[in-house]
Amino acid sequence: MNATQELISQAKVHAIWGPFNSGEALATTPIMARAKMPNIHPCVVESLIDTTKFPNAFRLAPSNNQWDDAVRNYCLNILKVKKVAVIGDTTGYGVTALGASVAAFKKDGAEVVYQANIDSTQPDMTPDMLRAKNAGAEVIVVWSVSTGMEARMFNTRAAMNWDVAFAGHPSMSSGEIAGLVEKPENWKKVYVIGYRSCSYDSSGKLPAKSQDLVDRLLKANVSVKDTLLWWIADGVDAIDLIAKAIEASGSTDGEGIIKYWNGLSKYPGYFGNFTFSPTQHNGYLTEEIVMSEASTARNGAFNLAPGYG
Amino acid sequence: MTAVAATVARNETTEWRAILLRLVPFALIAAAAMILPFVSNDYWALIGTRAAIYWVLVSGLNLIVGFAGHLAIGYVALLTLGAYTTSVLVAGNVMPEVPVFAALPIAGLVGAIFGVVVGLPALRLRTFYFAMSTRGFATIVAQIALAWQSVTGGGIGIAGPEFPAPFNTAWGFYYLCVAFAALCTWLSANVAHSRFGRALIAIRDAEVAAEATGISKPRMLIAIFLFAGALAAVAGGLFATLQTYITPDAFTFDLSVLFFIAILIGGRGSILGPMLGTIILTILPEVAAPLAAWSTFLYAVLLLVIVLAMPGGIAALLDFRNRRPLASNRAIVPRPAALADIVRKSAGEKSLSLRGLTLSFGNVRAIDNLDLDVKPGEIHGLIGPNGSGKTTTLNVISGYYVARAGTITLGEDVLAQGLPALRARHGIGRTFQTPRVIGEASVLQNVMIGGTIEGQATFIEALLALPRNRRDERMLTDKARALLGVVGLEALAEVRADRLQHSELRFIEIARALMLDPDFLLLDEPAAGLSNQEIERLAALIIAISRRGTGLLLVEHHADLIFDICDSVTVLNLGRILAAGTPAEIRTHKEVVSAYLGG
Amino acid sequence: MFASIIASGLAAGAIYALVGVTYNTMFSTSRVMSFTAGQLAMLGGVFGSLFTLKLGMPVLAGFVLTLIGCAIIGIITEFVAVRPVLKSLDQHLYVLSTLALALMIQQVAAIKWGTEPQPFPRLIGLGNGVWDEKFWLPVLACAVTIIALEYLYRRTLVGRAFIAIAEDNFAARALGLPERGLRIASYALAGMVGGIAGYSGGELLLAFFANGALLNFYGFVPVALGGLGSNRGAVIGGLALGLFQQAANFLVGGIFSSVAVFALFIVVLLAKPQGLFGFSTARRV
Repeated sequence: MNATQELISQAKVHAIWGPFNSGEALATTPIMARAKMPNIHPCVVESLIDTTKFPNAFRLAPSNNQWDDAVRNYCLNILKVKKVAVIGDTTGYGVTALGASVAAFKKDGAEVVYQANIDSTQPDMTPDMLRAKNAGAEVIVVWSVSTGMEARMFNTRAAMNWDVAFAGHPSMSSGEIAGLVEKPENWKKVYVIGYRSCSYDSSGKLPAKSQDLVDRLLKANVSVKDTLLWWIADGVDAIDLIAKAIEASGSTDGEGIIKYWNGLSKYPGYFGNFTFSPTQHNGYLTEEIVMSEASTARNGAFNLAPGYG
Repeated sequence: MTAVAATVARNETTEWRAILLRLVPFALIAAAAMILPFVSNDYWALIGTRAAIYWVLVSGLNLIVGFAGHLAIGYVALLTLGAYTTSVLVAGNVMPEVPVFAALPIAGLVGAIFGVVVGLPALRLRTFYFAMSTRGFATIVAQIALAWQSVTGGGIGIAGPEFPAPFNTAWGFYYLCVAFAALCTWLSANVAHSRFGRALIAIRDAEVAAEATGISKPRMLIAIFLFAGALAAVAGGLFATLQTYITPDAFTFDLSVLFFIAILIGGRGSILGPMLGTIILTILPEVAAPLAAWSTFLYAVLLLVIVLAMPGGIAALLDFRNRRPLASNRAIVPRPAALADIVRKSAGEKSLSLRGLTLSFGNVRAIDNLDLDVKPGEIHGLIGPNGSGKTTTLNVISGYYVARAGTITLGEDVLAQGLPALRARHGIGRTFQTPRVIGEASVLQNVMIGGTIEGQATFIEALLALPRNRRDERMLTDKARALLGVVGLEALAEVRADRLQHSELRFIEIARALMLDPDFLLLDEPAAGLSNQEIERLAALIIAISRRGTGLLLVEHHADLIFDICDSVTVLNLGRILAAGTPAEIRTHKEVVSAYLGG
Repeated sequence: MFASIIASGLAAGAIYALVGVTYNTMFSTSRVMSFTAGQLAMLGGVFGSLFTLKLGMPVLAGFVLTLIGCAIIGIITEFVAVRPVLKSLDQHLYVLSTLALALMIQQVAAIKWGTEPQPFPRLIGLGNGVWDEKFWLPVLACAVTIIALEYLYRRTLVGRAFIAIAEDNFAARALGLPERGLRIASYALAGMVGGIAGYSGGELLLAFFANGALLNFYGFVPVALGGLGSNRGAVIGGLALGLFQQAANFLVGGIFSSVAVFALFIVVLLAKPQGLFGFSTARRV
């Protein structure tokens, strides 16, 4: 909080990219709105984008609803399950996402046999997994950014000899998990949100533009092993958008930047094609969201999940 | 005018000057706070507001930690409580919306009640245990905030309250918080300089002596728990407004640590010190920006340094008055004649009687079937070898021990045993074998503590500095000065008690005990460590006290003193009465001579 | 479910008991309750993971180095936070100095080691399910430590010297016992006990900086309940606490279990401030 105010008043920046977690964004968005500071962020919580309350804030990522739809569709229509467990962490993001997810599953006729918000630093995941198993869960949907907690859940699943599938947040495919699972097999049968722009098709090839970006990164010796390609692509796009806005409006004036962004239609970014308007600040297109197989990362991009067209 | 009254008048002007001098630092800080908006930007408004809000909480906590000495390290629990209560009331998601200026007092009330809940263990638990229990409360509150999603929003959090114009701008809110901070400074300073503040310090540093003067620890503590809890909750409401949006992880244990350390860095028993401490600790992470991640580490280092090198904190650094050297050839010259003007003549109707008193420690019979009478105006000596049960007898009369058998009566009334704080109201005062004074307080304050229960004003009246409290202070100050004159120590009135010599402390204890015009005075070896000249003067003082109708029970090893001034003497040996009678009888009593006095 | 509760309850309880013993060992020669007890256990886990996982040393070497590291921290506690404070008359200073030191240790761990729980190496590799080594290792470590301490206190001269210092400080000094040397030794010993607690519990609790504060509290509860200075009480209290906590954890869930533990602790303490097995303190007057 202090940092945001410092950026605005002391450093007098012209645009802000971030923050990167929804909990912080919930607190800092009002401050930036008061200062009319142009803001791009990738946080997914719904309430962060509101063209009346925060006309200066733009989301360069799908909204949580879009993510939730993709995961739910995969579980109900492709994995064809009826009973789900939903687990989130105790951050602002985790609580909101879990609430929305549970409500949506129930509306679609599925049975939520277990739900819990778990402190992401809890060392032993056995109690919760055991309760989920005893309740008959057929898939565990996870909404959390904590790779540590997720890896511990994978390991517990193996220790329990349970072969339930995990589905949900893209952090479950992050390279960090490789070092946290006890055996590589523990990471199988995990399906996460992915993006067409960052997925290998059945012939093992990335879309041309993304391949370009990967080549650039490899040439500059930037390691993509421990992270996700879409995070990098998103960042590159965000900076590009700020630069292009200043270029197009001819000044660093906040109003001009915001006007430029409001006029974008199918802007071809690395991460996706963005469309914004004065009444729509959620710029990502739903059809570009897919599901990936979590443990198949190469250079931060993934194979498509089984059964996914 | 008598000599004493002249001293009083002269001291009034010096007192006014002292008060004005004390106010100067506060005035400077207030001026700085007023000017801040004109010399800086919104960012510093945020910092300044934060410091003010923290001080609102710390000013109350200061009374618990700095004055009463109870280490409440989990006070962020009350900040959390206040923040959520105010936010929920204003947001109207549980009950109909409440305007913010009504929500704050309601939160204050809730905070007061929980302040008592959190603080209550202090009455039963020792230092470390109490600290841990407050830590536990802090965790419980944080967990409940996280779990009770329907009310607090759980991990998502809840929007903080908004104030109406003109307080909804950065500087408007700043001035509002500064106003709150100023108010809280005034309130807590009022308590600190009243008999309640002194009583708290007495409980902290000389609990046994405090009980002997009638101070009731539970009542004192509950009063400040209510006050500090209310303040913390109001600070919480303001904090929620400052943050604009609160989640459970805004209330980390680090905040508790900050509050706690600010008080200790500032110095116990001070208002100015903790205020400076709070301001410094709030600004520190901002000024040393690259060190922001290390801020809690730095606080801890600061705390360690203070504890090891400067336990008195900033307040001790600023205490210039107590750096002035004292005369090394001081003599104690009591003026017993002046006693008549100050201490009222005792009605002299009731005798203090012990019948069949018996007390054992494990298998050792400390007192065995003791009968003793002290008549009003009589000086009764109690002598015997070490371990004969003399001090134990005094302790039973004072109520610190409960006798297994036997009774203590005052006239017709049987005194309840085991309740030392009630003795003062019965008119029984005492001094102790090892002087129990408050080292950090001045001599005058130490003596004033003796008269605490004679104050008429309630805690609220002291809080608001109402006239009745001012009258109390006037009365206590005048009487204490007068008694210091009686015992011959008026020149040392403003000096910190821990700078005094042993013999001077003994006379201070007597002055303290006299504050309540006691009907009976128990003196435990008052001559120990005194020079011959001082013993003579002590004797004159004791005789003057007895002439006022006070009955004195004098435990002593100085046989000459006993035989010179006592009207009757009891000799104890191994807990039993060896002999009793007039000094002349005792002096020649065969068994007494062989067991104790020596041929 | 039941088996899981017993297994993890006894394991967690053994860790809490060992931290309680750490408190007792430090208290025994200095009459000081130190906030660093939990931090020592945290360091047992962090050092263990650091030496064996990050630096790749063999398990035995890592264990020995962990013990040495924790012993050093114990000695530092004595030097910095305890000895200077014992000289002053002020009763409460030790709370502040040990609190300050504990915070410093915790912050350094958070900044240097990281704020995420890091994995702890598999030490022996025996057992799975409820007989997994992460469950029986702490219990074994606790039993061995308690037996070793009993032997120390009852059969060896050094141990009896510890007890002498604890029971009657002045008499012990009058007899010529080297009080300072013994105190330093007991703090080093306490450090090692804490290290054993954290190391044996590493697989259960992971190498996590916040374990320090957690174990400070959960290790204190057995001491408070079992009576200060009583290792037997600490073990009983610790195991009982572990079982209660894990039962709540498994049956109800994380958040409510910690609230339940805190609430129970406060209620019991208010009812019996000396603990369930302890005795009253010395005379006041």
